[in-house]
Amino acid sequence: MTARLRPMLKADLDRVVALERATFPSPWSRGMFVDELTQAHRHWIVADSPWGVVGYAGLMIAATDGHVMNLLVRQDAQGRGLGKALLSDLIESAAEAGVDRLTLEVRRGNAPAIALYREAGFTEAGVRRGYYSDTGEDALVMWTTPLDEESMSAVRHALQERASAALGAFEVGGAAGGAPLQHDLILAIESSCDETAAAVLRDGRELLSSVVASQVDFHRRFGGVVPEIASRKHTEAIVGVVDEALRNAAVTLRDLTAIAVTYGPGLVGALVVGVGYAKGLALATGLPLVGVNHLEGHLFANVLADPSVAPPLVALLVSGGHTSLVHVPAWGQYRTLGSTLDDAAGEAFDKVAKALGLGYPGGPAISLLAETGDASAIPFPRAMLRSDDFAFSLSGLKTAVITYLDKERRAGRDIDVPNVAASFQAAVIDVQVAKAVRAVETCGVETFLLGGGVGANRALREALRAAMGSRGVRMSVPPLDLCTDNAAMIAAAAHFRLWRGDALAPDAEAVPDLRLA
Amino acid sequence: MTLTLALDTSTSMTAVALGEIRDEGASLIAETNLEAPRAALTHLVPSIMRLLESSGHVIADVGAVVVGRGPGSFTGVRIGVATAKGIAQGLGVPLLGVGTLDAVAERFALSETLLGVLGDAMRGEVYPAAFDISGGRVDRTGPDEVSSPERIAERWSALDRPLLLAGGGLRKYRSVFEDALGGRAQVAPESMWAPTGESLLLAAWRGRAAGTLGDGDPGTLLPVYTRLSDAEETERSRSGRSDSVSDNGVAGPDPVPR
Repeated sequence: MTARLRPMLKADLDRVVALERATFPSPWSRGMFVDELTQAHRHWIVADSPWGVVGYAGLMIAATDGHVMNLLVRQDAQGRGLGKALLSDLIESAAEAGVDRLTLEVRRGNAPAIALYREAGFTEAGVRRGYYSDTGEDALVMWTTPLDEESMSAVRHALQERASAALGAFEVGGAAGGAPLQHDLILAIESSCDETAAAVLRDGRELLSSVVASQVDFHRRFGGVVPEIASRKHTEAIVGVVDEALRNAAVTLRDLTAIAVTYGPGLVGALVVGVGYAKGLALATGLPLVGVNHLEGHLFANVLADPSVAPPLVALLVSGGHTSLVHVPAWGQYRTLGSTLDDAAGEAFDKVAKALGLGYPGGPAISLLAETGDASAIPFPRAMLRSDDFAFSLSGLKTAVITYLDKERRAGRDIDVPNVAASFQAAVIDVQVAKAVRAVETCGVETFLLGGGVGANRALREALRAAMGSRGVRMSVPPLDLCTDNAAMIAAAAHFRLWRGDALAPDAEAVPDLRLA
Repeated sequence: MTLTLALDTSTSMTAVALGEIRDEGASLIAETNLEAPRAALTHLVPSIMRLLESSGHVIADVGAVVVGRGPGSFTGVRIGVATAKGIAQGLGVPLLGVGTLDAVAERFALSETLLGVLGDAMRGEVYPAAFDISGGRVDRTGPDEVSSPERIAERWSALDRPLLLAGGGLRKYRSVFEDALGGRAQVAPESMWAPTGESLLLAAWRGRAAGTLGDGDPGTLLPVYTRLSDAEETERSRSGRSDSVSDNGVAGPDPVPR
């Protein structure tokens, strides 16, 4: 029997609820499991096998106490050490999360379960009379001794020999102290625009590899991304990029917990290559497939760079395809405060660069020239729109630059390209900063994130840092290679999604206009 | 015996089969052929899962994957090819390519006829391929290409032979061929116009003997496009270049990176 432990998914709940009903006189409802999966400080796992889910267990952590909420092994799979495997995973995870002692309730008549818990170091601490309303049976209340090194080592010894045998290749525990609660190894794939990318991430924070195959040389002479070329290059590159990511991480597909893929927003033809490929990989390996919103990936790029970044916060997402301000009261809860009504910021940079004959992509060329130009030379308009909203408009600015260039050329005057670049960039930045500051103040948050390819613009980073710093707002910006499209950020968001039980169904579509909500 | 999974989503049909390819022919275990225009990404993997389940197999039993490389709808071809790449790489098994029009031709393998297959290439064009089918042989008469229906109708008319026609391109251009070929043209029933799971296995069997299935590496198998992206086509017609399309369907990088 080979089984492996992995996070419980919402897609498992049909099986889980059926097992629950077949086993317990007062089974948990589906709604109770959904609640558990979406709450913080929980750890729910299943034992998965080629014959489906054969067991599951869950832990709730309240400060230094850990509560074993539920533990079940399917009847036909009992007696093979699966209960030990599930329980030892909970105990290891609890210890790593700083839990001091564990507790649980168990039916007084459930002798095999009581024996398992005793073996794991639980002892009877009391009785709740008539705790189970269906039969009026008593519950035994059991507690462990404090989970210090000595007791943990005894528990490991008691539980893990048979557990490892039962689970085949699955490695139970073994991580150093202080590690995160949720162990996993995720391969993520990103193909939403013109970068074919793959990355391998351990435990949501340890980046083992990140490979990005850029197609920029194939799009440059067209002045922008050609969707059909992007789709063709993804198809050509994807297997090699994934191979390289696995090789660089020194892992194999067999070591993975899950596969993740960007399923929107982006170019539909480009997205379907990644989603189709990832579905095939998930089918072949039997691994869960986690769908990631590309924009949530840009948010989680910040977490990858600094694990202490946490909501409530406001984020500015700026790239070639997006320009929006998002309020994040908690991970997984997103309220888009405003977006661009026309061009994305990166698009405006590309179009102005084209008008100036600077080639593609325009962002790096303009920001480099702007360093030697005078930002106040030309008073381009700042489209603030209404002062009380968070929408952006960039096409008017782009038109103003092009009109200015035409007028100067007609008048026979030389164009001072650095001054135009600096003045244009300053107009973009002024609006982004003003709206970002207003969003932070309106939402009353103390953390601000920048994400997306335009986040690589140094002048924008510095202007935002100064504005946020003067208001005592903490600002996080990922390093440059995590600002532009990559799969590491997709893996980081997938880690969060996986442990909430979110996975794509086999019939999932790519969603080119996917929203962050 | 190697259990082979075959699939094609280049046309409006999502075709999937499980079978075995032996020296003497291909044997079908089970197939599903689902008319699902523009919905291949939704239906392909569930179709494979159902097929495995209904035939008592698990995915790990599959020892080779065969995919129809087109030509066809660019996005449709890529959904099949990308999914097949993921499956083959995930299983660590060979990925083999067959022509989608060859798989259509296999449906007529027991006939004695000249067969003209016309894939719909959109934008007023077709993907034509003619096959000489006789004595159980299916012989392709030329490489994959893209052309106007009128030019192909004229070419096939000049053969001065009776011609059986099939393929999704007939939905739009049937009358062009009937007018040009007159009584020599016979149109196969519409149910015979698309590849099926079984015909993919047959094409793979024939392709194995002919050595046209590729090297088995999921990383190197590419779709058959026959034309460039619109952007590159326009660029070429402006510059007056007309050299052939490279295997990956992309003209090339910017020759002077800045």
